Amino acid sequence: MNVIEMQGVSKRYGKLEALRGVSLEVGAGEVVAFLGPNGAGKTTAISIMLGQKLPDSGTVRLFGHRPDLREARGRVGVMLQEPGLPQSLTVEEIVELFASYYPYRLPTGEVLQRADLLEKRRAQVSQLSGGQKQRLYFALAVVGDPDLIFLDEPTVAMDVEARRAFWEQVRGFAALGKTILFSTHYLEEADANADRVIVLHEGRVLQSGTPAQIKRLVAAKTVRLRTDAPLEQLEALPGAGRLERENGHVLVYSNEPEAFLGELVRRGYSMSDLTVKDTDLEAAFVSLTGKLEA
Amino acid sequence: MTKTITNVTKRRLSPTARPSGSTSAMLLAQVRAEFLAAFRVPEFLIGIVAIPVMLYAMFGLTSSGTLPDGTQVRALMMASFAAYGLLSLAIFTFGVDVAQDRKGGWLRLMRVTPMPAWVYFAGKFAMSVLFGVLTVLILFAVAALAGGVRLPLEKWLATFGVLLLGGLSLSTLGFALGYLARPKAASTIANLVYLPLSFASGFFFPLSRLPEFLREMAPYLPTYHFGQLVWTTVGSREAAQAFTGVGPEGTLEHALWLLGTFVFFGVLALWGYRRDRDEARS
Ligand SMILES: Nc1ncnc2c1ncn2[C@@H]1O[C@H](COP(=O)(O)OP(=O)(O)OP(=O)(O)O)[C@@H](O)[C@H]1O
Ligand SMILES: [Mg+2]
Repeated sequence: MNVIEMQGVSKRYGKLEALRGVSLEVGAGEVVAFLGPNGAGKTTAISIMLGQKLPDSGTVRLFGHRPDLREARGRVGVMLQEPGLPQSLTVEEIVELFASYYPYRLPTGEVLQRADLLEKRRAQVSQLSGGQKQRLYFALAVVGDPDLIFLDEPTVAMDVEARRAFWEQVRGFAALGKTILFSTHYLEEADANADRVIVLHEGRVLQSGTPAQIKRLVAAKTVRLRTDAPLEQLEALPGAGRLERENGHVLVYSNEPEAFLGELVRRGYSMSDLTVKDTDLEAAFVSLTGKLEA
Repeated sequence: MTKTITNVTKRRLSPTARPSGSTSAMLLAQVRAEFLAAFRVPEFLIGIVAIPVMLYAMFGLTSSGTLPDGTQVRALMMASFAAYGLLSLAIFTFGVDVAQDRKGGWLRLMRVTPMPAWVYFAGKFAMSVLFGVLTVLILFAVAALAGGVRLPLEKWLATFGVLLLGGLSLSTLGFALGYLARPKAASTIANLVYLPLSFASGFFFPLSRLPEFLREMAPYLPTYHFGQLVWTTVGSREAAQAFTGVGPEGTLEHALWLLGTFVFFGVLALWGYRRDRDEARS
């Protein structure tokens, strides 16, 4: 038995097929990333795993239980994408309230410290910034010391430092053998924090594998430039992945743009109009879908 | 095989974790949170407690005279405004509040915790009972001290009990509103329900001073039966007759009306609750 078992789950919103037969399993202690662009179905899949939404077909079990039963709920913590909180309660009061719901709890002080909210413990929700609210949702997700934690795009409103601290806390929970499933738009975030990546696109599981395996399919960076090097030459350079032409520019997908560009310079080719960006997931997945179907 | 099963069944607690989640502690925490939230937005509940007292001061204390059996009109007016206060409390704490929680996504978040739904409702009940008791006691005090209302102790106690029970019988009306109204419209609908109901049941002015057609319509309103129960508790049946110009019918009949109201709106509220939940799940 696995911690999460999802079998052939489909979900429609009217005409839109948000999930089309998603099956997946997550074992105890795994840290899994749900990677996919906007509208891929990440939130929908998580809501179904939580029993918040019912699938049109298929089944979900958490720890072998239906997700809406207390046996499952008491062991699950959640950070949702857009929840609401009573604006007039303080951080500490809401954490205490949630702690009372779960069969086990962590001390409030410890939770606030882990969520970096100690100085804000007496602030009312209405006085928190976006990032602080996000950290409060994290505090609520972990106060019941859950065995399974769902994090739906957890770092969206956080700055760089808050992100770093956040992932450090998540790793702390993972180290206790807890199971974690988080969703993200960023391959790098998945790479840095997950044992396994499940790529979701248009309601289907496109790929599931270690971050290294996924990175081989979808390069993390896109190099865009004008150059006089012929395409065949470019393809052979170290670090070069898939190539595309785009009105006078060349797009090179790469996991090692430094190595690629270094070699290009060393060979004396010309280079202008250079940009190196994080690969746009939507574009990457469209090409990946093409590749898989071809 | 057995090994993997133990693997999943086993809790992986943090070293600092301790047991929690007893029903009593959960209930206490829920009630505490409701109270804290209510006291931080005092406009809401001050409005609900202060308005009946203010209206009584304006319309009740200025009325004088006694009814045939010697009951003071001011004493019956005190009962009217208390009934009005409890109606508004039921409509606002259960109705408008629940609608707000629905809108904010707070209910959605609570639903993914192991907290059973009844604990949430119990929190609302506790708050409503506290503010109900407060409203009634303040009205009693104003009536006795500023209005010179004199009643034997057992009448004070009986009136207190009938008011609270009647108020609770209206709670499901509030919940039904909270779950059936669209969150944005809840407050408007609440006003559209409780103000006309109060007026037509004779809570603002005695029914005997209202137009004939309102007196004829009143016995079809649950709040009228609430009123009759309280008026006949404060004074005699004769007094209630002279005060309202209708009824009163038997105590049992009034009580059955309230019970019926409780059940009818309870079913409606349950249906609304299910619909809300199913909509969220679809
Ligand atoms: N309640 C709803 N009613 C109708 N359509 C919905 C609803 N929720 C989601 N959708 C649609 O279902 C699809 C999947 O949405 P979902 O929120 O699961 O995507 P996501 O991967 O979480 O996206 P994002 O990265 O933007 O959060 C989208 O096309 C979305 O527009
Ligand atoms: Mg989402």
